[in-house]
Amino acid sequence: MVAFRSTETSGRTTGLLLRCVLYCLLALGLIIFDKRYDHLGEMRRFLSVVAYPVQIAVSSPFQGWDWFRESVSSRETLRADKAKLEAELRLANFRLQRYEALEAESQRLRALRENTAGVANRFIIGNIMDLDIDAFRQRVMVDKGARDGVFAGQAVLDSGGAFGQVARVGELTSEVILVSDGTHAIPVQVNRNGLRTIAVGTGDMTKLKLPYLSTSADVVAGDLLVTSGLGGGFPAGYPVGTITEVKRDPAQSLAEVGVRPAATLDRSREVMFVWLTPEAAAPASAPQPASAPPPAQRAATAPAQPNGAPKK
Amino acid sequence: MALSALVALALSVMPLPAPIDAFRPDFLVLVVFYWSIESPRAGGLALAFFSGLALDVTRGVVLGQHALALTLMAAWATNLRLRLRVFSVVSQSLTIFALLTGYQFVLFWIDGATGNPVTTFSRWLAPVIGALIWPLLAGLMSRVDDR
Repeated sequence: MVAFRSTETSGRTTGLLLRCVLYCLLALGLIIFDKRYDHLGEMRRFLSVVAYPVQIAVSSPFQGWDWFRESVSSRETLRADKAKLEAELRLANFRLQRYEALEAESQRLRALRENTAGVANRFIIGNIMDLDIDAFRQRVMVDKGARDGVFAGQAVLDSGGAFGQVARVGELTSEVILVSDGTHAIPVQVNRNGLRTIAVGTGDMTKLKLPYLSTSADVVAGDLLVTSGLGGGFPAGYPVGTITEVKRDPAQSLAEVGVRPAATLDRSREVMFVWLTPEAAAPASAPQPASAPPPAQRAATAPAQPNGAPKK
Repeated sequence: MALSALVALALSVMPLPAPIDAFRPDFLVLVVFYWSIESPRAGGLALAFFSGLALDVTRGVVLGQHALALTLMAAWATNLRLRLRVFSVVSQSLTIFALLTGYQFVLFWIDGATGNPVTTFSRWLAPVIGALIWPLLAGLMSRVDDR
């Protein structure tokens, strides 16, 4: 038996009900205000600053361990890593050779069509904090917040492709909902034939689905899906995933299509917040001087001008 | 008391490998129950309310959800405390299980009412684990408290 030593038997049980009702009303009021009127944004931002030390305290030992492991890793491992990275860089440079020409061409074509599909023009990098927000929802906490100019609904990419969207912004941190969350949907396009549809999360980090395709839709396993830029949330043309399976049941009107996300949702450590320029109509705009960006945008950012890929 | 609540809050946001993540007991809730039973005057419902608010902020759910559930259940625990203190370990754990289930039910209800229901079965695991871990946690806390 658990030893409760307390001899405090009196207590103010008469006031208990009253106080309980009071606090419950307070909590209910908070719920209603937060849900209906969204007036509590400021208060939540303030509270998230208060919670920040706890979050830092929890996540720093894990980061410390990572750092330790990195600093004692052997010479061979580092050499192997270096060789691998050099090979990747060579490949990337090779692919980049045509990038400038293609970028300019696409800008010209966009200008012709007066296409307003968003073009990413500014990035900042955020680190994913080692925190577990909720076991049942797929969200991560990232160490960039309102102070860095992050806003709710902003698109988030990682090195593989579309990662998610900012769900909630704190002063110093923000919460990102992954593309694989069951409540997340993203407008996509099949890269092969331009077919537009919507990719919906499944709650499983390794799978998305395309629930709105008819059985006769022209999709095959292996097709690459890219963001279509419709809806204005995401920049157009970033990979979202690859179709892994297409099930066509003649008795159903819709096909079951499974997609493997392009972003490494479960392994990424760093993500990119993206700002869009809605008007991409200025074809050969003069490259902005590097000192022009506002102070929030420090060294980690680079304007994606025709003369350079976004640096990481 | 505040220290134990802080430690519990830290434990509840600590990253765990995905397979065992669903088995994580609600540490902060158990700590609040402990204080409601051991000395309701020390923290009282204010402790429950603000712990719940802290959970709301760290989990990023609608503000007041955990606060409401935790306040209700802490009040119930305070009401039951005289009986709970003389219960055997098994009866105590069963009572805690009932309290935790009530807590999850309020959360479930508010989730549904605010339009983002989590229907996975695994959320109902937390009360079972919490009830199983209760004797350990309460024993540890009263040991530390004695010092």
